[in-house]
Amino acid sequence: MSATSVSIPEPDAPVILSARRMAWLRFRANPVALIGAFMVITVLLCAAFAPWIAPYPDHAGNVIDFANRHAAPSSEHWAGADKVGRDILSRVIFGFRVSLLLVVGVLGVAVPVGAALGLCAGYFGGRTEFLITGFTNVMLAIPPLIMALAVGSVLSPTLINAMIAIAMLWWTWHARLVYRVAKSVAAEDFVEAARLAGATHWHILTKEILPNCIAVISVKTTLDAAFVILFGATLSFLGLGVRPPTPDLGSMVADGRQFLPEMWWGVLTPALGIFYATLGFNLLGDGLRDMFDVEV
Amino acid sequence: MHSTFLEFLLRRIVGFAAVLLVLSLMIFLLARVVPGDPARMAMGPAASEEQVQDLREEMGLEDPLPTQYIRFLSGAVHGDFGTSLISGRPVTDEIMRVLPATLELVLVTLLLMVVVGLPLGMMAARHRNGWVDTVLRLLSMVGVTMPAFLVAILLQLFAAYYLSDWPLLGRIDRDLTVPDGPTGLLIIDGLLSGQFAVVLSALQHLAFPALALALSGIGQIMRITRSAMIENLRRDHVQTLRSFGVPDRVVTFRYLLKLSSVAPLTILGLEFASLIGNAFVVEMVFVWGGFASHGLESIMQNDLNAVMAVVMVSGMFFVLANLVIDIAIGALDPRLRLKEGR
Repeated sequence: MSATSVSIPEPDAPVILSARRMAWLRFRANPVALIGAFMVITVLLCAAFAPWIAPYPDHAGNVIDFANRHAAPSSEHWAGADKVGRDILSRVIFGFRVSLLLVVGVLGVAVPVGAALGLCAGYFGGRTEFLITGFTNVMLAIPPLIMALAVGSVLSPTLINAMIAIAMLWWTWHARLVYRVAKSVAAEDFVEAARLAGATHWHILTKEILPNCIAVISVKTTLDAAFVILFGATLSFLGLGVRPPTPDLGSMVADGRQFLPEMWWGVLTPALGIFYATLGFNLLGDGLRDMFDVEV
Repeated sequence: MHSTFLEFLLRRIVGFAAVLLVLSLMIFLLARVVPGDPARMAMGPAASEEQVQDLREEMGLEDPLPTQYIRFLSGAVHGDFGTSLISGRPVTDEIMRVLPATLELVLVTLLLMVVVGLPLGMMAARHRNGWVDTVLRLLSMVGVTMPAFLVAILLQLFAAYYLSDWPLLGRIDRDLTVPDGPTGLLIIDGLLSGQFAVVLSALQHLAFPALALALSGIGQIMRITRSAMIENLRRDHVQTLRSFGVPDRVVTFRYLLKLSSVAPLTILGLEFASLIGNAFVVEMVFVWGGFASHGLESIMQNDLNAVMAVVMVSGMFFVLANLVIDIAIGALDPRLRLKEGR
């Protein structure tokens, strides 16, 4: 009561930083993480504003410009032109859209599914734990690219099927990770206290345990984004990706490969595009890992 | 103690059998729910409806699904995956024909990963936070982020410009006769029959594909070895040895190395899955003509029986590799086999 009326500020109160602020300071002090964040943001901007950024927005589609067939890099086409004279730089910028779409599609399914299973296994224990961890370990052992190839061949090779195939196996890593954290958190006193206070399982899972898993999930998801981009590029390089003329980094590399070594620009620019995006997400993920100080 | 190690191995084997069982069920269901009709695919569009129906009965496609699955599974256990829908020959024969090429590539790649990755990791740990460490960490980052197909293409491009005489496609020079050896591995068969030209040519052909395939693994192993070395250096018994004046060389090679090679070995087992996957890409770029090239071909042609066999054989290799690694880790670290065995 009296505290509200007598509100004299303490003269030398120690500066207490919130955990969030501390984490941000640590992130800001890490140049690698900042570079990673910058790279990721540029990729996101490129994808979002591709029609305005790309020098030849219509070249994302079925355009044929035979005069510029295999044009070398010049002031007109900064990264050269492909086998039907389309501007390669424009297509790479649009290609980020497909890559990021794949990332959102795969991780949008895999992360929630994996996290939910990991949470349940770690919290409930007993038979639930045995079943979920057993199934996860079995699924972890399946080589993902082979499975994706098989799914792509059995169903038709489209972007959606590639997403399904990758998501089918990707949740396992998140399940394992979240399980590890959830199991140790579930043994803490505050969880016991919540249970004694009569909290429901749902409340404990979502309000008590899940917040403690957010750090590992976000680090893993960022690192995963790089792997999904790489994975998608590999699939479409093998011919199991999007259909032409949709610009896609992996199939651009495959197209350009036929004209090596003379027309090296057909391969080099999309290759750099893939490398830039994956490196960006990797650096950002490493930075986040240092910032949250978690093991992934 | 011996029995606990056996128990540990037995547990792993049961676990791996479960992996193969689930894999077989998944690929079987996948292959049976497809809209296309395998019999129609095998006969081609010219065949009449009766002919296709006859083949369906002959292939057992009219039986209930569980019966079909049991038949597929018992065939798979005996190494029989039926006949290819495209060529009509037994799938297993075709796989056995191309398997040695991939086996040779994968073995050389694994060797390269360990022989290059482990010493580099040790070097980085020794000079940690110095410029050697920084350069090596950057390199490992690049190795991990570069997709294998890009590495393969860039290596090819590099060789085409700077090593114009270096052979880039296939396993061996065309004008050399392939020795008819027992293993099918060109290096070993060449050595056995004393044809050193074959060995040399095979090694030359292997160099770039193996490097392309090994790069990401080298990066991973380097990173893991580095952190394991640094962590183990802090251990009490290592500190004691150092304070007694045991030379650094002895500490590193006799005590630290053994302790620090468990973690990279574990990674090698996980890495094996992506190794099999990347082999598909690298074999395609270097026209290797191995198991992965064959698998890709069957996938592109929708040869369902062959696709099922390719998936199962890849899964089997992954499981076998991990079993070998588990045994190796058990041999290196007695604590592990005792703990797991209980």
